[in-house]
Amino acid sequence: MFIARSEYDRGINTFSPEGRLFQVEYSLEAIKLGSTAIGVATGYGVVIGVEKRVTSPLLEASSVEKIVEIDRHLGCAMSGLQADARSMIEHARVEAQNHRFHYGEPLRVESTTQAICDLALRFGEGADGEESIMSRPFGVALLIAGCDEDGPQLYHAEPSGTFYRYDAKAIGSGSEGAQAELQNEYHSSLTLPEAESLVLKTLKQVMEEKLDSKNVQLASVTKEKGFRIYSDDEMQEVVSRLN
Amino acid sequence: MGGFDFSNHTRNAALMAAGMPAPKATSTGTTIVGCLFDGGVVIAADTRATSGSIVADKNCEKLHYISPQIWCAGAGTAADTEFTTAIVSSNLELHALSTGRKPRVVTCMTMLKQHLFKYQGHIGAYLVVAGCDPTGSHLYTVHAHGSTDRLPYVTMGSGSLAAMSVFETQWKKGLDREAAVKLCSEAILSGIFNDLGSGSNVDVCVITPDKATLMRNYITPNVRAPKELQYKFEKGTTAVLQEKLISKDELRRYITVTELDAQGDSSLTTDVMQVDA
Amino acid sequence: MASSYMLPYAQQAPPSYAHPTEASQPRQHHWSPYTENGGVILGIAGKDYVILAGDTRSSEGYNINTRTARKVFSVGSGLILGVVGMSADGEELARKVTRKIDDYKRNHDKHITVSAAAVMLSRILYQKRFFPYYCQPLLGGLDENGVGAIYTYDYVGSFEREQSRAFGSAAALITPFLDNQINLKNQFVPGSNGEQPKQAGDLPRATVEKIVKDAFTSAVERQIEVGDGLQLVTITRAPPRTEEEADDDDWTGAAISVELSPLKKD
Repeated sequence: MFIARSEYDRGINTFSPEGRLFQVEYSLEAIKLGSTAIGVATGYGVVIGVEKRVTSPLLEASSVEKIVEIDRHLGCAMSGLQADARSMIEHARVEAQNHRFHYGEPLRVESTTQAICDLALRFGEGADGEESIMSRPFGVALLIAGCDEDGPQLYHAEPSGTFYRYDAKAIGSGSEGAQAELQNEYHSSLTLPEAESLVLKTLKQVMEEKLDSKNVQLASVTKEKGFRIYSDDEMQEVVSRLN
Repeated sequence: MGGFDFSNHTRNAALMAAGMPAPKATSTGTTIVGCLFDGGVVIAADTRATSGSIVADKNCEKLHYISPQIWCAGAGTAADTEFTTAIVSSNLELHALSTGRKPRVVTCMTMLKQHLFKYQGHIGAYLVVAGCDPTGSHLYTVHAHGSTDRLPYVTMGSGSLAAMSVFETQWKKGLDREAAVKLCSEAILSGIFNDLGSGSNVDVCVITPDKATLMRNYITPNVRAPKELQYKFEKGTTAVLQEKLISKDELRRYITVTELDAQGDSSLTTDVMQVDA
Repeated sequence: MASSYMLPYAQQAPPSYAHPTEASQPRQHHWSPYTENGGVILGIAGKDYVILAGDTRSSEGYNINTRTARKVFSVGSGLILGVVGMSADGEELARKVTRKIDDYKRNHDKHITVSAAAVMLSRILYQKRFFPYYCQPLLGGLDENGVGAIYTYDYVGSFEREQSRAFGSAAALITPFLDNQINLKNQFVPGSNGEQPKQAGDLPRATVEKIVKDAFTSAVERQIEVGDGLQLVTITRAPPRTEEEADDDDWTGAAISVELSPLKKD
């Protein structure tokens, strides 16, 4: 197969003559296979939503966990290899708790994202004095939503260790179409219910299955209530609002 | 009849073994010095008394009278220096009375060392003895264990090193009275400022064959800084918890009450105790 | 206040003022990693200011090591730290706090708040639970509302926020004075006959400065380890930002000033 590339495919910290790190680039491809996840930040809070891909009627839908809590004021949605996300989230949770322990205050959203991205780069042989903990880059991207003294914020973290702050961002298989939709629909004065609707509406457009209250999941992070995953009743309400 | 009372010794030893701390004695962690000069001798001391790291007395007297021409500067446990010098002063007075002669400094020094040696250092008196007698001017130090020295200039106490450094750099033979007083004062000042156990003022005593001159608070380099605020409390700031009035009639049951007129003169002349002249 | 803990080493070697040639009794000799360098610090928090003061004497036994040792340090982000006890440990602690406050600023792109720094210092102290820093720290700063804050600690990290506090060898002398003059303890409204305690109000900074100076000149009179100089550090609210300062990352909203004045040297 890819004869020309094969020499530089294996060493994960080896640049190709064109200046590329193939394994890192491949990891970004893994995310494009993942289910779609969307985040929208408003002045009132951040809404994140994911497609659940309930592939079988025998699958217990509630066991598909693609939105998780990091701390009271931090949540995240994932797309890509879910098992990899567990390591990242565990790391973020420890960092958030560590910060609470050492400073008696919540960790900022940007610092949380930075902490996750520091971990994302610890693959390969390991730098001098620092033990390598992973043989390959992560195959997952995260949408990190949170509230701190600077208000509600949304960040996108990639396996490459880069991160950016977004007003609205889509990742995963349907991300291209979804991002275009978000670009058209987003405005800075969105309310939280409007953001909920925007997330679901966008998901609906890129999902293969027909969207219902079981195959999508929503969560929000607000100053007042912190991170919250929507209950079945709340999901029903938001989905019914769409139609 | 005289001597120490050891009757509580066994009890106190048991209490201390049970963990009760020994009471803290006031110590004159001190600077005292002495210096001979042509025609006499001078001794000097600081005036700080401490209890641990707390200043117990800011202006105590560490120069003790022994006889008209013999004075003693004391360091160590305040009570020990006071009682030891007082006892020796009494005994020396008796000695002078029975011999009909002026007491000698060497006699004083010998009585002190014999007394202190007997108590094996448990009497914590460290003394500088100075005076003039028919044999000349003399200067000694006496340690608590009973050892003595006879030198032209001496220092003792916790500030002794600070004071001695002044003598060792500035002392020379054949000092006159004025130079000796100045040198001793500077030695004490060195102790006052460089030794935490010493402080406040300088006391000096100059002894010549004719007379002894005690110069109490000869130098006062550590006057308290004036306070920034006044701390007078308005009347009524403290609550009165209980009030009890006692009438004069009630008092008369126990004592004699004498009414005074406006000038304070008593109209009553009886019941006044007369003391025989 | 914070619970007091016995220090295993310090307990064995209390500062000794025994006269060197005092009646000798059998005594066990041992080495201790700790020394006590004396001195006193005093912190008072006001409505919009903090005063932290310390004397500048550092001593060992009956000797003075230096007459110009500063016990109050600016640790960055508009905060100040006073330390008293063993000066080597105090200085090390101040260095560590300074570095960690700088780290915080770099990691989180903002100045640490005094409450977060207070927790941080507590953790630093507890990290050395079984070989503690032999010093008592006072942390001062303006809180998020610009109100003065003093945090007080014991050796191993127990802490609380207080209005006023004295630490060090003259703490027992100064504390009752502060109770009476700052918190108006044991003072009643005249005429109320002990029914109405005087209410402590917001004392103006000028008055508090005078109380602090009187506390020190009085402590110097009766504590041999206190003296030489007074280092008086004050934090006040900085004037509103100018346009040039709008993007200045070093701007904290706090203005720190230091005043040095002499104390008695005996």
